[in-house]
Amino acid sequence: MIVPFAHVLIFAAILFVMGLGCVLARRNLIMILIGVEIMLNAAAVALVGGSAHWRQVDGQVFVVFLMAMTSAEVAISLAMVVYLRRRRGTLEADKFDGLRG
Amino acid sequence: MNQTLLFLIPLLPLACAVANMLFGMRLPRLFAETLAVCGVAASFLLTVLFWSYADGDGTRAVLGTWLAAGEATIPFALQFDALSAPMTLMVTGVATLIHLYAVGYMHEEEDYARFFGLLNLFVFAMLAIVLADNLLVLFLGWEGVGLCSYGLIGFWYQKTGNARAGTKAFLVTRVGDVFLAAALLWLFALTGTLSIGAINAQAAGFAPAVLTGLTVLLLLGACGKSAQLPLMTWLADAMAGPTPVSALIHAATMVTAGVYLLCRLFPLVSLSPAGMAAIAVVGAVTALYAATCALAQREIKRVLAYSTMSQVGYMFLAVGAGSVAGAMAHLLTHAFFKAALFMAAGCIIHLAGDENDILRMGGLARRGPRQLFLVFLAGALCLAGAPLTGGFFSKDAILLAAYTQGTPLFLLLWGAGLLTALLTALYTFRLVYLVFAGEPRGYSHLHDLPQLMRWPLWPLALLGLLGGLLNLPALVGGGEWLRHRLGALAGREIAATHGTEWALAGLATGLVLLGWGAARWRYARFRGEWDNPGSRFLLHGWGADAAVDLLVVRPFTAIAGLCALGIDRALVDATLDGLARQTTACGERLRRLTSGHVSTYLAGFIWGFLIILGWFLLALVR
Repeated sequence: MIVPFAHVLIFAAILFVMGLGCVLARRNLIMILIGVEIMLNAAAVALVGGSAHWRQVDGQVFVVFLMAMTSAEVAISLAMVVYLRRRRGTLEADKFDGLRG
Repeated sequence: MNQTLLFLIPLLPLACAVANMLFGMRLPRLFAETLAVCGVAASFLLTVLFWSYADGDGTRAVLGTWLAAGEATIPFALQFDALSAPMTLMVTGVATLIHLYAVGYMHEEEDYARFFGLLNLFVFAMLAIVLADNLLVLFLGWEGVGLCSYGLIGFWYQKTGNARAGTKAFLVTRVGDVFLAAALLWLFALTGTLSIGAINAQAAGFAPAVLTGLTVLLLLGACGKSAQLPLMTWLADAMAGPTPVSALIHAATMVTAGVYLLCRLFPLVSLSPAGMAAIAVVGAVTALYAATCALAQREIKRVLAYSTMSQVGYMFLAVGAGSVAGAMAHLLTHAFFKAALFMAAGCIIHLAGDENDILRMGGLARRGPRQLFLVFLAGALCLAGAPLTGGFFSKDAILLAAYTQGTPLFLLLWGAGLLTALLTALYTFRLVYLVFAGEPRGYSHLHDLPQLMRWPLWPLALLGLLGGLLNLPALVGGGEWLRHRLGALAGREIAATHGTEWALAGLATGLVLLGWGAARWRYARFRGEWDNPGSRFLLHGWGADAAVDLLVVRPFTAIAGLCALGIDRALVDATLDGLARQTTACGERLRRLTSGHVSTYLAGFIWGFLIILGWFLLALVR
């Protein structure tokens, strides 16, 4: 493999932190979901890198599962976003505090 | 005939009481009333029928074992002897007449089943006291009469005052009951039995101090039921009950239970000179105290209540002076004439339209029914001790017994008894003049009197007038029937010369005439009643209620308040409340963490994640 495994891991870590920063910093629900996607993909990059490094197919299989699961998750969460937008007229995450104690 | 049939005497009223209490309201009214009257009347007839059983040493009847624990066996047993038989006859006879009167008196009362049920139950309990062969059966009756008295004083419980009077009577007599129970337990510890005969037989073996202690405890127990000093405050308030109740319970029967108890245990009591002196002192002081209080009372029934207290005091004096025959003779005649007086008072109150105040009566001799006046006058003459009436002979016998004791103490008590006799005549004739003489002062027209309220008075008044024949002294050619009948139970032989007896009888007659003259001078024409500190002092019974309030009720309330406010609320409640408050505050602070904002939770995740990460890094470094 041309790319060293360490680089792959550093890239995945940077990607993960960026996604995390997006989740924490943004208040818009869609942006938070995008941040979550980025974090998931960072994990997928690390898995693919590991798979290449150890020459084992398990990591790639896992990534395929991850993709399928992510698409399903996005379908549900976007449906919820549409629903919330219709119902409350806003997508500001801090406006939703129905679980306050 | 089988002796066990004697149990029918107390059990018939009990059966009628149970029937009336369970089904009375479903039965036709006439049937319920007939049941109540017939139960008591049947007891009376049975007593007459079984009269010969009391001859000699009497008859003992056992129904079965009540308690059997170890050595001690306490049976349900009755003793029908020379002492209990006349008392049973009096209780059932007077109760029958009063039940008849009550049918007339309560004819507008809705709650008749409860009334007659309680009245019958009372007769049962009283007969249990009278006929008891052992002290536990006596105690059963003793508590039973207290319970019925409570229920009947507060019969019209919708009015707070009546209910409170019932509670007061119950509590005050209960104080006496505690002493009686203590005496019972002590006797049981000493002898291992509660049989009255066995205790009386063994009493001679007790130490003098024990005898005195027992006598004082029995005296205090008797004081509670018989409204003697210092447990006398309840009787005047007990007049809140219906008049038949006052006549039956608070004049004729229950209040004499204390006297009867002392007579029953006389062989024990008489062994303690100090105890006998205490009984005589309590009796004489109460007699004098109550007579002074009766002088100033304004309610007709309260006058009679205080006079009852005073007369029962005479009976105590007789027991203390060693004359059971004198006490029993006065008990019987007093029951007759006082029941008649009370029932006549009930008629008077009814005639005047529920007017209690004698200062607002007057003129009933001419306006009211003639026979009512005659009956009341007969009762009043007996109460005042006018010569040749029953009260005259029985009271004279008591004074003679006190006089012949001869010690300075008893001479002093005899003097108190004489003074009481004077005051008795005074307040009795005051009552007669205020109610019957002159013109009507308060009421405008007279109400109708049911027939059933009229004629039961006659037998009682006649029995009161002729009560002297029961124990007619040899002085006037009598045979002292009661004393001979009582035989060994009659107490001390009264030895006095005829000269002394004539002198004492003359003195008593003089006092009655003096009292009558004073009352006639003051009250024959109504000139208003005195209203000064002295009369108010007497009206309120020497401030006895206030004293009890100050010495007992207030400290009790204060201690109860301290316990409730100081210990319960300030200590127990405050600790628990504080704990609860702290927990709530804790939860309140924790609650703020859950803001409901996703971002906060996410931040929490991250911080947790970072900490775990840091932890692993540290572990790696080490």
